[in-house]
Formats: sequence, structure tokens, C-alpha cells
Amino acid sequence: MSWDDKLLKQAKKIIKLYPQKRSAIGPLLHLAQSKDGYISDDSIAVISELVGITEVQVKSVSTFYSMYKQEPTGKYLLSVCKSISCEINNSSEVINKVQEFTGLNNNETDEEKLFTFEAVECIGACGGAPAVQVNYETVEGVTSENAVNLCKWLKETKPEVVVADEMQENFGGIKSFDWAIQDSSGATSTAPGFQTLKTTKVKK
Amino acid sequence: MSEKVNLNVNGIEIESDPNKLLIEACEDSGIHIPRFCWHKRLDPVGMCRMCLVEVETPRGKILVPSCTTEVGDEMVVDTESDVVKKAQEGVLEFLLINHPLDCPICDKAGECPLQDQTMAYGPGESRFVEEKRHFEKPINISEIILLDRERCILCARCTRFSDEISGDPLIEFIQRGNKTEVNTFPNEPFRSYFSGNTVQICPVGALTSTSYRFKARPWDLKSTRSTCNGCSMGCSIELNSSQNKMLRILGVDNDAVNQGWICDKGRYNFEYLNSDSRLKNPLKKMDNEFVEIEIQDVYSELSEVIKDKQTKVNFLLGSNLTNEDYVAFREFSEIISQSEKSFYLNDDLLFKGFFGDNIELAKIDDLNSSDAIVVWAEDLKEKIPVLYLRIRQAVKNGVKLVVFGHTNETLSDIADVYYGKETVSENFEIVKDVSKLKEIKDLVIGKNITAILGKATPYQSDESVTKLFEFLNLNTNSKVLNAYSKGNTYGAFKTLENVKGLNDFVNDISKESTDLLFIVGADPVGRSVYSNQIKSIIKGLDIVVSLDNFNHETSEQANFVIPISSTLGEKEGTFTNIEFRTSRIDKLVPSPGQTVSDWEFITSLMNFAGLTVKTNSLEDLNTKAYENLEDSVSPVFDNLDKPSNLDGMVNVSKPKISSSVRTLIKTMFFTGEKLYGDSVTVRHSDSISLLGSKKYIEVSESLAEKYNLTSGKCTLIQDELEVTVSYEVSKSLPNDLIYVPKNRRDLNKFDFSREINIIPSQVKEALNVN
Amino acid sequence: MKETILLTKHMRENLEDSHLIDSYEKNNGYFTAKKTLLESSPEKILEEIKASNIRGRGGAGFPTGVKWGFLAEDEDRYLVINADESEPGTFKDRILLERDPHQLIEGMIITCFSANIKEAFIYIRGEYAKPARRVQQAVEQAYQKGYLGKNIFGSEIDLDIVVHLGAGAYICGEETALLNSLEGRRGEPRLKPPYFPAVKGLYMKPTLVNNVETISSVPWIIENGGEEYNKLGVEGSTGTRIFSLSGHINNPGNYEIEMGSSFGEFVETLGGGIRNNKKVKAYIPGGASAPWFRGDQLDIKMTIDDVANNNSMLGSGAVVMMDEDTNLVSAAKSIVSFFAHESCGQCTPCREGTTWLEMILDRIASGRGRTSDINLLLDVCDNISPGLSWPPKMTTICPLGPSAVSPITSLMNDFRDEVESLIPTKVFL
Ligand SMILES: Cc1cc2nc3c(=O)[nH]c(=O)nc-3n(C[C@H](O)[C@H](O)[C@H](O)COP(=O)(O)O)c2cc1C
Ligand code: SF4
Ligand code: FES
Repeated sequence: MSWDDKLLKQAKKIIKLYPQKRSAIGPLLHLAQSKDGYISDDSIAVISELVGITEVQVKSVSTFYSMYKQEPTGKYLLSVCKSISCEINNSSEVINKVQEFTGLNNNETDEEKLFTFEAVECIGACGGAPAVQVNYETVEGVTSENAVNLCKWLKETKPEVVVADEMQENFGGIKSFDWAIQDSSGATSTAPGFQTLKTTKVKK
Repeated sequence: MSEKVNLNVNGIEIESDPNKLLIEACEDSGIHIPRFCWHKRLDPVGMCRMCLVEVETPRGKILVPSCTTEVGDEMVVDTESDVVKKAQEGVLEFLLINHPLDCPICDKAGECPLQDQTMAYGPGESRFVEEKRHFEKPINISEIILLDRERCILCARCTRFSDEISGDPLIEFIQRGNKTEVNTFPNEPFRSYFSGNTVQICPVGALTSTSYRFKARPWDLKSTRSTCNGCSMGCSIELNSSQNKMLRILGVDNDAVNQGWICDKGRYNFEYLNSDSRLKNPLKKMDNEFVEIEIQDVYSELSEVIKDKQTKVNFLLGSNLTNEDYVAFREFSEIISQSEKSFYLNDDLLFKGFFGDNIELAKIDDLNSSDAIVVWAEDLKEKIPVLYLRIRQAVKNGVKLVVFGHTNETLSDIADVYYGKETVSENFEIVKDVSKLKEIKDLVIGKNITAILGKATPYQSDESVTKLFEFLNLNTNSKVLNAYSKGNTYGAFKTLENVKGLNDFVNDISKESTDLLFIVGADPVGRSVYSNQIKSIIKGLDIVVSLDNFNHETSEQANFVIPISSTLGEKEGTFTNIEFRTSRIDKLVPSPGQTVSDWEFITSLMNFAGLTVKTNSLEDLNTKAYENLEDSVSPVFDNLDKPSNLDGMVNVSKPKISSSVRTLIKTMFFTGEKLYGDSVTVRHSDSISLLGSKKYIEVSESLAEKYNLTSGKCTLIQDELEVTVSYEVSKSLPNDLIYVPKNRRDLNKFDFSREINIIPSQVKEALNVN
Repeated sequence: MKETILLTKHMRENLEDSHLIDSYEKNNGYFTAKKTLLESSPEKILEEIKASNIRGRGGAGFPTGVKWGFLAEDEDRYLVINADESEPGTFKDRILLERDPHQLIEGMIITCFSANIKEAFIYIRGEYAKPARRVQQAVEQAYQKGYLGKNIFGSEIDLDIVVHLGAGAYICGEETALLNSLEGRRGEPRLKPPYFPAVKGLYMKPTLVNNVETISSVPWIIENGGEEYNKLGVEGSTGTRIFSLSGHINNPGNYEIEMGSSFGEFVETLGGGIRNNKKVKAYIPGGASAPWFRGDQLDIKMTIDDVANNNSMLGSGAVVMMDEDTNLVSAAKSIVSFFAHESCGQCTPCREGTTWLEMILDRIASGRGRTSDINLLLDVCDNISPGLSWPPKMTTICPLGPSAVSPITSLMNDFRDEVESLIPTKVFL
């Protein structure tokens, strides 16, 4: 198995959360994504063994969902929304400028593996259109100019943790709603910065 | 049967069983609704949306897929309204926008539902001006199956088959939406014993067989219905030929037997018919060399021998003969000798079985209606693959499954209980009190049981499985399916008397007992665990006549080799399967050179020798085979050819098996056979000949340790013989046991009753270096 | 026009820490759940929900009390919270998850008590990483306090909650697709019949699937009584609802209001009017799946029934304003390509049709349209949703395919000139 003991332990904990093993595939794939920046065939093999279905069945599930990347991603996944509210608020310009700056087409990763760019469907930030996510941390009211500044900042400072509040303050504008609470949590990989793992299930 | 429901379809009142799907109910009443994804034997998914019909509801007419909608009493349905037609045309147009226009080079053309329905319901001209979806043209998804994703219409028939029916989901939908494609996992090919079925049920030409590719157009095909003689299941098949060459075999939906499915060996093991190595003329051994002679000369030479009433004749018969062939040999034996004759079947596992007067024999369909199935037998997936599918089906329907022993690993995966090494010793004896096992108490005792019983390996004695049988007989309401796996074994049981196996053969046959031995369609030297003994016995006999399609290790030892036509497609007759169902074997192609049928050979020989022969034709033999049955139920040709009997006729009988030799010497090894391996016919069927080329053994954990096996390979050494194999360490094998798939090339050479040395490969290589 | 603050009360009054259990409890949080478990009965809770006449906030607007009543008997039953919010224009569940997760958990405890459920899941869309963190934290806090797990509040009641993250598939908002996804499968909608979640849901067991906002409303309803809730809003659209307002609007955002006022009033007062004093050309009353209204239809009332009577839907409560300068063909294209991208691919008409529509619109938008394209567009739409009527008839398993038809019928019914003007050959037959 290509997963180390720590990861396997996490995986087994996740599996225990569910009445049926197979349910754990989703979170396990997120775990794989956080490890490698994509869903490698190796990880698929590990997961298939862990939950007891064939590799192609795991692959079938993983390729259904757009957040499980089939190619290695860069350190930062730049997702610019192109759905209706953003579209009519000039998201295409944001997209153009970010593409120009990074030199990337849709779903491409640069050679240094710093950025992966994608134009995505609605990310639930329509009130703060146009909106951008970096590793699934949302920044709202991003002008095309600020979008480029955001990229520059990422490139220069290469933060290990991407924090939404910090990016919003420096590069954001109008918001969907008042965020109010200061929050320093963030993402450390191109998987959403979220852990199912601490859950203490008391029963069973 | 529960009450019928009445519905109105297109203004016509029809009747249907409740719980039926609309599409089926309509079909039964002759109303065809077009469809792509729906298949009678698969769970409905309602994906293609081709079968939409209008149903009246309190809220007006709505469009529903008839393949997922159950019939209801008083339901009013319209399958031809303008709305329905428009929807169907729409679906067809959608399917065609991305479908290539390569019908002229597509195997499916001429028998393609998409093509047919486009003619019937389709739009005239394409309104789609964009570029079609592109994929790399056919890719090999296994050694025998090709996939053309551009042609695929995503009906999920293949993926559902492999998941629901065969249980090896190695092909799946990848991606989603408009990017969806069917594919395998990289480096994990679609290696399924049943993969050919997906080619057959693919409604377009997306899945094709390498063996049939570009070979024919459907309108050139000749076809006939027959029965597969590959194992004792006797699946119904359709044979297809073109220009007198067999080109393809399809499964036929015989509800009681194979329900449309066949295994890949059954599907592709016909190519040998067209092999250049087929025997075409009789051979006679002179000065240790075979020379071709005329068949007439064979008759005249042999008739001299049999004219002498003192000549002691014996028969070693394979399992690929028709019932009529067997009858011919019986007739022959009756004419040439007054004393009772035995017939030796080419079978390592033959024993008396469970046919006694107070035993109820099971039908295949009983699997579905019993509370539990108890299996202790050879590996059914390897030996009777479609029976394995039927067991899977029963389990899916909620029937419990209890598996004993070390041979049915795949079945144990779906079993409710698997009694492995804790319960069954390395001697293949049950070491626990069965009646005290918890699950037996819960699932088996007092229940309706179908017991599938047989010897799991030649190395098992009859006693242990008999004990299990007796337990079941006493404590349950059980029916038995005797698991003899080889071809027409049950036909032999039905038509012959004093049937014995190879274990008896090596015991009984010698120069003293036998002057003339007929070996018919059998290669025991190449395949039996008694290979070496049989070889030396045969060598010692005066006259040995081998009848076969090919020359092989056994026929090499014969004095005469007679080329015979194959039971698969080259002759007519009948076949009897594991539930004593007799069905038709039919002829479609001519056989080469001077080949004769077995029965023709033996009948001609008798005539040549001037013996009084009562059965001079196939029809005579066919009648003779069932002479003790009442006319109306007798599976004679006339009856079998009636449309109502195409699925065969069941006549349970109690065979006369007089096998007496019971146990083999206990060794560390036990043998079984894999579906694919090295057999006389498979060797000459190109598509599948290499599928069983991997030489490997399964070793218990303790033996792996004992022999220091770590490198994945080891060498087996016995006398001069050295064979390097890969091995798998099996957690489920008892301590001192090694499993050998004996039909793998070279592995058949060992005498497993004597010591064999095992050396891990790297050690050996290191030795070589020094 | 003013907001009516029930659901968003706690988060508004506790700007700094509304997501934490201490803050929630300080403001009477979990009080209702505790009282319910210790003093009430499942039947009584169901009665209150029925009396409130609350209708589901996920989009379909199905009466919640009726849905709970349908739940089949079984030892194992599940509650699944639909937090997959992905309908373009919608961001109301996000605020409830991010700012007041305990309210949702309290609602779940009461719901599970009423339905005798011991295991619940919150399925949050994968892109909602931060809301998911907050919910996860809240669940952990609730476990620590003994509000989840065994014998909650010292009662005989057990409940486990698992937070499950989706991975980028709008279709998983459809409840049966969501269940497939939660089972570790492709998020493909199931056939209804036979797979109604209330009978054969998660793991084929009876399952309640409810939206975040629906269940977040439960504590208030139980605390104040179904009758009180029923008094808010108008008949058929009782209580308050959080509307997500976006597009060309001065004050985009989430607004909690009683249903019943007109869109125009809502946009002018709470929304602060259209940006740069422009006129409204068209607007979407209930998320991207909903057919559009014209700028001259602003007096339609914001109730489930009024919107339906005008051939659209209030859906997920997402209002998107498009001003007079909006290129509606591009807008429609954006929505159609959304659905094409999100089609699960099972149904031929949806899989092939949405992509084809996207291609045709793309052609028209970029000036390569043909005169025949107008009829082609409509006919392809017709093959996905026969008759192009509302509510849509379907040739598909779920309503996603027909949703892609909405913007095109809106465009053709009300803004045909705009489409035609983009087609180079000006000859129309
Ligand atoms: C294509 C499609 C997408 C949907 N997306 C969502 C969603 O994101 N969130 C949601 O709560 N309901 C969504 N729904 C509605 C759900 O299927 C379901 O009706 C809802 O979760 C029920 O909860 P409620 O009764 O509380 O509204 C969607 C339905 C469809 C057909
Ligand atoms: S309509 Fe579209 S999204 Fe819905 S089930 Fe069919 S293909 Fe999937
Ligand atoms: S046959 Fe009914 S939907 Fe495909």
C-alpha cells in the first residue's frame, strides 16, 4: 500500500463513521487529494482495498465529481466562478486576467506546480460576485485587478495555509453577507481544508 | 399464481401478471416498445429513455419509461401517441448526434438495434452540425474484447451485467455527463469468465469480440440452435457460420438453464474446429511412426480383431460424446461380449454420487426456491461457470449460501457462511460436528436445501462428502444436485451401465483384462492425475484405438487414431445436463477429410465385421437411447424439435455407477482445474489458448514459510522434471496444503502422490550463479 | 418593507461568536431541544410541524409535515440534511451553516426525536470548506456537551451526526442523487418510483431528506408553536424565508422576510434598487432552474403559489436581477452550460440535449447562428421537456434536464428579438 500508517489510520477512522464502508469513499478521496494533489491510481487501489470494491468502481466514483482531480494540481487551485450572477458581473474579465497572469488555460497547471486554473460553476458566493476560490477558500467581490494581485501575492508569499479572511481583506470587495467572525482557519492543500476526522462517534 | 391485472394499451385490453413491467407486459401481448437500456435479465435503470409511453393519471397523461413502471389494474397506456413518437424520435436523434456513421465497417451492422430503430423511428437528416464526440478508436479492454467508445450509447448493459450478474465489475462508467465513457481501470483489464455476454447484449457495436471482428456480415450467416457441451450445465446456444466455417456462438435464453448467458470458454472454444492441426485422416502406427491410411483399411484391420469373440474389449470414453454416440458403444459392447461390460469415463472425480431411491434430485431452478444452498464440490466458477451465475442469482434473491471446503473461494465471497480450514481439514474431512455449527442450526437444519455435492478434488475420499450428504438428508428437506462437471457426463449416466472413472480404470485395466481399448475423445495422459499410470497401462496393451479431433499425449500411445467430427456443430444428437435435461445438439458445418462421427465409426465397424446391428442410423440410436421412456415425454428428435421443447426435456433417472475405488494417497498437494488451461481443444482456439497460460500454485501460509517462499516464484522438482511457477500465498488453505491448477501446461506432468521438492526461485538462481 | 428575524436572530445579535456553543446556549440555545426530549412526544412535534404549514426550503416546496408523516416504519431510519446548496444564485444555506450551525443541530435533534431516528448526516457541498469546518466544530462541541451521542440531555435518546463533504456535483442536491453519493456511489438520481427516500432511502432504509433552512426553522417552530409560525407570511407560504439576492443590485445579500410582498418592493427597499439606476430587463425569481420574469413583472408576489401561477418557481429563493444592458443570450448560455456541465449523464435527452443546446447558443452568441437555429433550439428543448409547458413535462429521470430548458423558453417567449438580432441572416421564415 502506498499510504503510510498515519494516513491509513485516518482512513480507518473515517470508515468507522459510516454504517457501510462504501460511504467512506468520498472522504477517502478527499484524503487522497490532500496527500497527492490529485487522485492517483495508487490511491484508488488503496481505497478499493479499504472499502472492498474494484479499482474501476472507485475510479468511476472519483471521476464523477469535479473536485477530485485526475491530474496533479499546483499548490494553489484558482477557481473563478462563471455562473450566472458572476457572469453578469464580469467574471469573464476576471477569468481572462487570471489566465493572462498565469498563462494557463482552463484546467491547466503550470510547470512549477504553483497554480492550477479553472473556471467553475456556482460556488455559492453570488451576492459577492464575481467570486474566486483558492483551494476552496472563498474571496468575494474580486475585481479583475485584484484577482491578479491575489495571484501575485500567492506567488510571492506562497502561504502554507490559505485563509479566506486574509484574502478577503486584501483582495476582496462586496460580500454575500457579513462574515463577522474573524477566522484564521484555512486550507493547506487542493482538497477542501476540512477534516471529518476528529468526529467522535459515541455509539456503536 | 396471484390474480391478473387488466390494462388498456392503445385501446386494446390486455392482461398481465401483477408486478410485471409495462414493457414486458406489452411485449407479451405483442406490442413492441423500443428500448436500449432495458434487458430482461438486468435490473432496470430507465436511462436511455427510449421506451417512454404515455400513462393516464388523475393529473392527465404523463410520459413514463415503460421499463421501470409496473403494470397496474385499469391502467390506460398509449405507446403510439404523437407525444410518445416525438419523444422517441428525440431520443434517437440525441443518441445519433454522437454516434459514428461507420455502419459499413461495424460488426453489429445488420443486427444492430440502434440501426434498426433508426430505420423505424429515426429522423431523416441530421440537424447536428457540430463535431461529434471523439475517442481513440477500438481499444483492447481484455485479450478477447474490444471497446469502441464512440459507438457506445451509455445504456449500462455491460456494466450492469458485470456487476449484477457475473460479479466482476471491471468495466464502469468513467467521468460524468456528456463526457461519460465506459472503461476499465488502467492495467486492470476486463478479465471476466463471462465477458463475451457483454458483447452479445451491447445494443450497438461498441463491444466486439476479437474472434469475430470483421469476419462476417449477419446476412451471410447461417445459424442453428444447439447445446454447449463444454460442461454439464448444457447451456442453450446459437451457432453461427458463414461459408461452412463456424464463426460465432451466442447464448440463447433458456429460462430454466442459462437464461441467455454463457461463459467465455463456451463462447470462444469453437475456433479449434477450423484449426489446421485437426486430424483429417486415420493414422496407423508403424515402426513407432504414424502413417495416414484409409478409413476402410482401419475397418478391415479392426474387424478381424473383433470377430474373435474372445477378444477382450474395453472403452475409455470422454464426456463430449452425444447420447447417441454412447448408445452406439453400448450396442457394440453388447454384441461383442456376453458378459457385462464396464465403461470407463475420462474423469478423475467419478464416484457413486447421490442417486439412491430415497434421494430427491434437484433442478437448477430449485436454487431459487430453496431456503439455502449448501455447496461442497469442485470450484464451480471454474468448472460449471453458468451454474455459478445461477447460484449468484439465487443469493441475490435472498437464498442463503453455505460453502464447505477449500475449492470454492469465489463462491465463499458471497456466501453467508464459509466453512474453510477450521472446519475442513487438509484431508478434506469435516473435523467438526456439523450439527453443532451455529449457522448450520440457523440456516440449514429443518430448511429446504439444495445441496450441490461432489468430490472437490481427486484427492478427496468419497466418505467425507457422503457424511455431509447424510447429515443433510437426515436433518433437512434437501434436494441434491450432483456436481459432476464434465460435458455430457449425465448423458453417459443415462445411456450406459456400469460406469466407472479413471480411478477404477487404473485399478482394472491391464494386459490381462484388455486386448483392445477404445479411447474416445479423451486425453487422460495429458490431463488426469493418474497420467503416468494410465500412460504405462496403455503402452502395455495390444491394440489401442484413439478417436479424436487432434493427436495428443494419449493418442500418441495408440495404434490407430481415428479423426472424428466434433460434437460442437459438426454432428447431430442429444445432450443431457446436470439436471437430466436432454436437449438438442445440432450440426451446422461439415467436418474435414475422412472424419466420422463416433457412432458412425462404431456402427460401420460392426457392419464391416458382419455383426448383426440393430441400430444403423442416428434416429435408431436416438430412439434406443430413450426406449424405456413413454413416447410423449421421451426426448427423441421428433419431440425435441417441437417448439415447446426447444429448452429441453427433463427425465430424471438413476444412473448405474459402479465405481468402487475410493481414495487417493494423501499428499501435500491437491489439484483442481481452472476454466482456462491447456486442453486439447483450447490449445487450438487462438482467442483463448493463452488465457490459461499462467503457471501458478496456491500455498498455505505455513508452507510458504516452511519453504521460505518470498520472491513470488518457486520451482517444483520431481525426478527429471523441473517447473518454475509463480505462487500465491493463501490465507484460507489449511496448514499443509498446496493447490495446483492441474490443467496448466507442464503442471500435469507431476505425480502428486509422490514427493515433490519446492525451491524458492531466488535461491535457485543464486545456486546457478555459484 | 422590513425583515422578520427568526432564523437569523442569533447570528445577527452575536456577531463575534454565533457559531460557538457557548454563545448559542447563552441565548437559550438547545433549550427547546432539551425540553422536547424530556417532556414532549414525537407525535406532538409532528403535529406542530404540520400546524406550521412550513414547506421545504430546498426548492420543491413540499410540505414538511406531510413528508415526515410519509416516513416508513423500520428499525433503521436516517435523517439527511441537504446542505449541497449549488443552485446558481443561492447562498442562504451557507450563512446558516457558517454562522449558526448549532441551530441546525438543534433542529436535527428535535427532528430525529420526532421521527425516531438515531443516525443523521449533514451532506455539505465540497466547495463549502469553511462552512463545513464550522459545522464540524459545532458537532464536536455538541458531542462534548452530551447533546449528541448516547442519552442526550440525560434522556433515553441517542443520536449520532456525521458531517459528510460532497465533491463538486450540483446534481447531488437532488435528494436521491445525494443518497447515492452518501453511499459512496456516483451521484446519479434514482428512479422514483420505486426509490422514494421516505421508503427506500439511504441504504434502502426510510430516510428523511430536508434542506438546511427547513430544519434550522424547526427550533423556532417548536419553541413558539406551529400556530405562531403559520401566522407569518401568507397562506401556502407561511413563516419566513431567507432570500438570496444577487445580480445587478445595490445591496446583494441574504434577507429573511415573510413571504407575500412583491419582488419589486423587495428589490427597491431591502435590495436598494438596481445598480446605477438602471432598469430591470429580466430577473430570475427562484434560482437558475426557474424560468425568468420580465422587468415589467416586478409586481408578482413572492409566494410559492403566486410565482407558480406565473409559470415559474420560487425554488431555492434565489433572486437574480439582470439590468437593461444585460446580454440575455450570454446569460442563458451561462445557465445552459451550467446544466450541461452538471448533468449526471444517465438520461439521453439530458446528457446529449443540454450539450447540444449549449453548442447552439454558443454559435448564436458568437454571431455564427443560422436562421434555422431558433426552431432547432426550441425543438431540442421540446425533446427534453415536451410541450415546453410549466411545470415542465419531462423525458428524463430528474428535473435537471428540463431546468436547462427554462432560460431558453424565457428567452424565446419574451426576448426573441434579442436572439434574432444576433443571427447574421436577417431572413426569418
Ligand atoms: C437538480 C436538483 C438540485 C437540487 N438541489 C438542491 C440543493 O442544492 N439543496 C436542497 O436543499 N435541495 C435541492 N434540491 C431539492 C431536493 O431534491 C429535495 O427536494 C430537498 O432537499 C428536500 O428538502 P426540503 O423538503 O426541506 O426542501 C434539488 C433538486 C433537484 C431536482
Ligand atoms: S435529467 Fe440529467 S441530471 Fe437528471 S438524472 Fe437525467 S441525466 Fe441525470
Ligand atoms: S429501455 Fe426504458 S429507459 Fe432505456
